[in-house]
Amino acid sequence: MDFLLLLLASGLVSGAAYGLIAMGFALIFKSTGVVNFAQGELVMLTAYISFTLYSTFELSFFPLMLVTIPISMVIGLVLERLFIRPMLGEPIFAIVMVTVGLAVVLRGITIMIWGPDPYNFGAGIPAEVVLVGGVPFYPAQIYLIGALAVLTAAGWAFLRFSRMGIAMRAVAANETAALLVGISVSRIHAVAWMLSAAIASIAGVLFAANFKLAPDLWFQGLRSFPAVILGGMDSVIGSAVAGLVIGVIENLFQGYVGQGLREISGFIVIVIVLMVRPFGLFGSRDIERV
Amino acid sequence: MKNGLLALSAFLLASTAAYAADPGVSDTEIKIGDVNIMTGPASFIGRAVSVGSKIAAAEINEAGGVNGRKITIVTEDDGYVPARSFQALTKLIEVDEIFALNGTSGTANVLAMMPLIEENNLPTVVTTAPNELVYNPVRPSVFTVGASYSDAFYAQLKYIHENSEPANAVYGLIRQDDDFGGAVEAGYDRAVKEFGVKDGLRIRFKKGTANFAAEVAQMKQAGVNVLANGGIIAGAANILGEARKLSMDLQVASVWSEDMPPSVNLSAPAGYDYLVADYVALSGPAIDAFLEKAKKYASDEEIGAINRYTYVTYVGLKALAEAMGQCGQDLTRACTVEKLRGLKDFDTQGISAPLSFDNPEQLSGTAVAVYQLNAAEKTFKALTDFADY
Repeated sequence: MDFLLLLLASGLVSGAAYGLIAMGFALIFKSTGVVNFAQGELVMLTAYISFTLYSTFELSFFPLMLVTIPISMVIGLVLERLFIRPMLGEPIFAIVMVTVGLAVVLRGITIMIWGPDPYNFGAGIPAEVVLVGGVPFYPAQIYLIGALAVLTAAGWAFLRFSRMGIAMRAVAANETAALLVGISVSRIHAVAWMLSAAIASIAGVLFAANFKLAPDLWFQGLRSFPAVILGGMDSVIGSAVAGLVIGVIENLFQGYVGQGLREISGFIVIVIVLMVRPFGLFGSRDIERV
Repeated sequence: MKNGLLALSAFLLASTAAYAADPGVSDTEIKIGDVNIMTGPASFIGRAVSVGSKIAAAEINEAGGVNGRKITIVTEDDGYVPARSFQALTKLIEVDEIFALNGTSGTANVLAMMPLIEENNLPTVVTTAPNELVYNPVRPSVFTVGASYSDAFYAQLKYIHENSEPANAVYGLIRQDDDFGGAVEAGYDRAVKEFGVKDGLRIRFKKGTANFAAEVAQMKQAGVNVLANGGIIAGAANILGEARKLSMDLQVASVWSEDMPPSVNLSAPAGYDYLVADYVALSGPAIDAFLEKAKKYASDEEIGAINRYTYVTYVGLKALAEAMGQCGQDLTRACTVEKLRGLKDFDTQGISAPLSFDNPEQLSGTAVAVYQLNAAEKTFKALTDFADY
């Protein structure tokens, strides 16, 4: 089996996880201008909720997600209403600090409810190894890559063609102008949180299915942040692609360059890219007329 | 007047047993402190530790206590944060007025508490952090139970080398890039040099890494078939899971945390009957007897929390109680320290090798036994007796 192929394949798997989590970050940033530092915790919380549903009803993957996603969207909506909506009009920095506080609260609640022990969470996905072009994968790994592909396509179509998606882009472009043409900005914010929570749940379940469900799952939010920066803070599709880029680069560095370089390799790439394109690979260039 | 003074002197002399003793000791009670990880991701360790203390104290108290004094355990949570360990011990010393310390959290935590321990000459038995930094340099009142990770890995690799050596053996190591990982590598290093086997690959990783696909692919590429797996809990399980995906035929040596039920549940699906080396027993008559005892003194929830940390803490408190008992009615910290220092071949009823602190490092329980997991049944069988390496 080719070593390079193996590294590329495993890079795509970890990159898909980064990409999915990064999409959630970008979606909220695009429509609200807020970096949601609780995104990783949302990934963790929804994964644990899904784990409880799975343990209780023994659902297979797709029925499990059919239940998990709506619940996650409700959680996203509730969090937005309780913590973000009251902050409307406040400085962005204050709202970001609220998300930092929310992150700590969600971490505490998760451990309080589910305890500190890590779990195997198969998420109803078979565990037998399958070969794709001679490269071995666990089915959950294929699901992870597949989910990123589907969500990237769906995200592109949603933002390009749907009324809500176009409204979201309008709010992202100019909130005041969007208000003037009758777009409900608060509704857009709520939808962004709901969709972001939905993506978080898919990312969380598939991450846990691949790498165990543990209380430190929230940390993947921070690990995915470079993908958001690289893709462009306001580019949902760019974040997904950047996740894959970082995942593959990390694995190639680990495999060929040397030990301990996996963690810094993504950041090296980010530094280089941002020096050339400060708004990321796919982000919007800020133009100010003076 | 003279008779009055004599009577007063006699009264004071008679009452000094209680008043002259160190803090934490009354005529009826001895308070033992326990600074532990009761909250956070590592709290399964702290819960297990506190159950060990509870069972030991209950057993001692039922047998009449230490020369008639009952042991009371006072637990403080440090959340595995060294600064909080210091605060917790300050509270235990100044508010609760403990006599001695048994639960001491992790290595960094016990080191953070060291100034307080030394300042108060607090008899301290460290059972969960047998790191060289704890016993070197030696602190007069600190006694450590446990083996080194280095010895534990050497013992396992020795067993593999002598008993189940695969053809064309290629050894490989994966370990954290910290002190703990360094200790693991020391045992690996000693083994590959001493056995003259092929040292295929050494990989370091950052704490908290979840995805080991690239690392395991490197192992496969290097032809590793004897793996020193320095991952712990989910990390160790993910390493084995990746190895299974690549159909690697492996003999695996693991960290002793991998004998705990949460770790076994995570790792067993990969199907590797990995080894662990531990300084406490994992199976056999000693553990059966302990679990039977636990049913008497602990709740179902507490019994569910039992793991290796329960056994080591139980052993630690029993040793401490033995030393306190040898002091008789005039129980002081100085006497307890002296008696601990003289402890020799203290019988732990097979839970660990007998304890002896009469050595320059005041370190005991360095002997480890090698166990093998039956991944299908999630049970361990002993492959060797306790031995020093």
